[in-house]
Amino acid sequence: MPFPPAIARGLAHMMLDQETLDELEGLTINDAGHGFDPFGMHLDFVRLSVGITRWFYQKYFRVISIGNEKVPATGPAVLACNHSGTVPIDGMMLWSDVVRTTGRVPRAIADHFVPTLPWVGVLFARGGMVGGSRGNARALLENGEILMIFPEGTPGIGKNFSERYQLQKWRVGHAELAIRHGAPVIPVAIIGAEEQMPQLAKIPGFGAVPYLPIPLTPVPMPVRYRILYGDPVPTDKDYRPEDADDPERVREASRRVEEAVKGLIEEGLRLRGGRLFT
Amino acid sequence: MIPGAYGGDFFRSPIRGVMVTGATTPVGERLVRELLADDTVGRVLAVGLEPEDQALSFTDPDRLVYRQVDLGRSRRAHELLFGVARELEVEVVIHTAMHRSAHDRGQRVRAQNVEALRTLLDLSERHPTIRRLVFKSSAEVYQVQYDLPVLITEDHPINLAPGAPQFIRDRVEADMTACARMGLFNLEIIVVRMAEILAPGTGSQLFDYLEAPLCLRPAGFDPMINVLSLDDSVRALELAGRAMGVQGVFNIGGADTLPLSAAIQKWGRMGLPMPGGVLPFFYRARSRLRGSEFSYGMNRRRFHYAAVLDATRARRVLGFEPTERVNWPGQMLDTGP
Repeated sequence: MPFPPAIARGLAHMMLDQETLDELEGLTINDAGHGFDPFGMHLDFVRLSVGITRWFYQKYFRVISIGNEKVPATGPAVLACNHSGTVPIDGMMLWSDVVRTTGRVPRAIADHFVPTLPWVGVLFARGGMVGGSRGNARALLENGEILMIFPEGTPGIGKNFSERYQLQKWRVGHAELAIRHGAPVIPVAIIGAEEQMPQLAKIPGFGAVPYLPIPLTPVPMPVRYRILYGDPVPTDKDYRPEDADDPERVREASRRVEEAVKGLIEEGLRLRGGRLFT
Repeated sequence: MIPGAYGGDFFRSPIRGVMVTGATTPVGERLVRELLADDTVGRVLAVGLEPEDQALSFTDPDRLVYRQVDLGRSRRAHELLFGVARELEVEVVIHTAMHRSAHDRGQRVRAQNVEALRTLLDLSERHPTIRRLVFKSSAEVYQVQYDLPVLITEDHPINLAPGAPQFIRDRVEADMTACARMGLFNLEIIVVRMAEILAPGTGSQLFDYLEAPLCLRPAGFDPMINVLSLDDSVRALELAGRAMGVQGVFNIGGADTLPLSAAIQKWGRMGLPMPGGVLPFFYRARSRLRGSEFSYGMNRRRFHYAAVLDATRARRVLGFEPTERVNWPGQMLDTGP
């Protein structure tokens, strides 16, 4: 895969129409020199990533975005979302949706092993993904960026089909970060990803990757994605930064986010009815 | 006046004397030159291993004194500090002397890297005129790992791997030695952990790596790196030397943060991604055949995972902001990760 920014720029121009390119002109990054931010993100690769995901976003998964105006236009924020689908396409679609509808580049917080994946780790980093360490998240929030966190982590995408739309253990780190850095949490639910690639089994301990999934289908099915954004949980207003060191306050904030995501899932399923593909 | 927590006018307050060790290295020599250009600095005592007639390319009979001293020998160091340094009323010691070859090892190298600093600290703590010691450490003391933050703050884990080469172990030990003495005596200690200075003669592994016309790197990886110019490194040392009342550890990042592939390209070299398993053999052979310094084993992790110094503390407290970019000589196409 050719990686110099000039090639990424050329490819993005081939993949995207002028109107989309114009919209993406307004994107900004914290340029640490030479066009890259300290984590390796580059706007030409962001545009290329929009180009790569465009067909999936528009044609294959036909994403319906509901409530994206609730994502703050400026300042730090945390998007907390349910996670599913055997492969993390839900993350790509959410990323794409936020870039397209808000003009901000969300920073996906990935599991630790992702940077160890050859080529994939680099491509994701160029598009804005960062490894899931506390230090990375802190630096991004201090810089006023939007984090995209899946509090269920890998167990979310690794759950079996029978557990679809059941949240796995909801970790509290997102709430702690949001409280500490004065950022609101925007709950997000993704409907559709659960059915894209039903997982039958998994082989544990595959190198740095926690497991190797055994899905029912070799590729994801063209289910329709519905992305629902909820009202922000005002962790920046209802809590003081020092509450981040109070485990009970953090758990309480996390529960509020979890309940909000559950509510959005129910709402999304109600809106969808039995229509998986339309 | 430097903005920041200490916000005083220490930048322009006069200093009677400054001692610079490693004065014949590119950093040391440039630092001595800058100090001499500063009329608020009284006398400069330059210390190096080279004989005086081969040491510095400039003189200043009124303000510059050069001494050839092996600081690894504690008696010589004692004579230096309680002899000429006391006479010159040295207030600030800026210790930049470190063995620069990654392949040299043994007790003599360790004496220069670690014991010299320990001796300087011992002597400075009871010295009648020295108030402050600045130790030039490096980012090599930090651990680079895929699950650690990309932005390295001063509390980032230190590389304490038992299998690390002496080049790293000595730097870690020296750094820790300086840190362990902070706040115990009247001597103010500042440790500046510098990003890699991409310039000849600085012991830079990356510089040696980029000297080859073809730069091999692990396929599928293209980590972010941060490099420092000689000018910025000297300015950081000057600021650290002048920040009276300030102690602590400070990261000094450079103005160039970019992927490894872009660094290769900007250096005018051809980058070629190769399976990671091949690279140790290739670079070991290169080192044996051509006597080059670059050790892939020592750089394996930083050639896979991003590691960029977070210099926020230095900016806030010392007023240091990197402004000078490395002089990138050219550009060629890189074939990508």
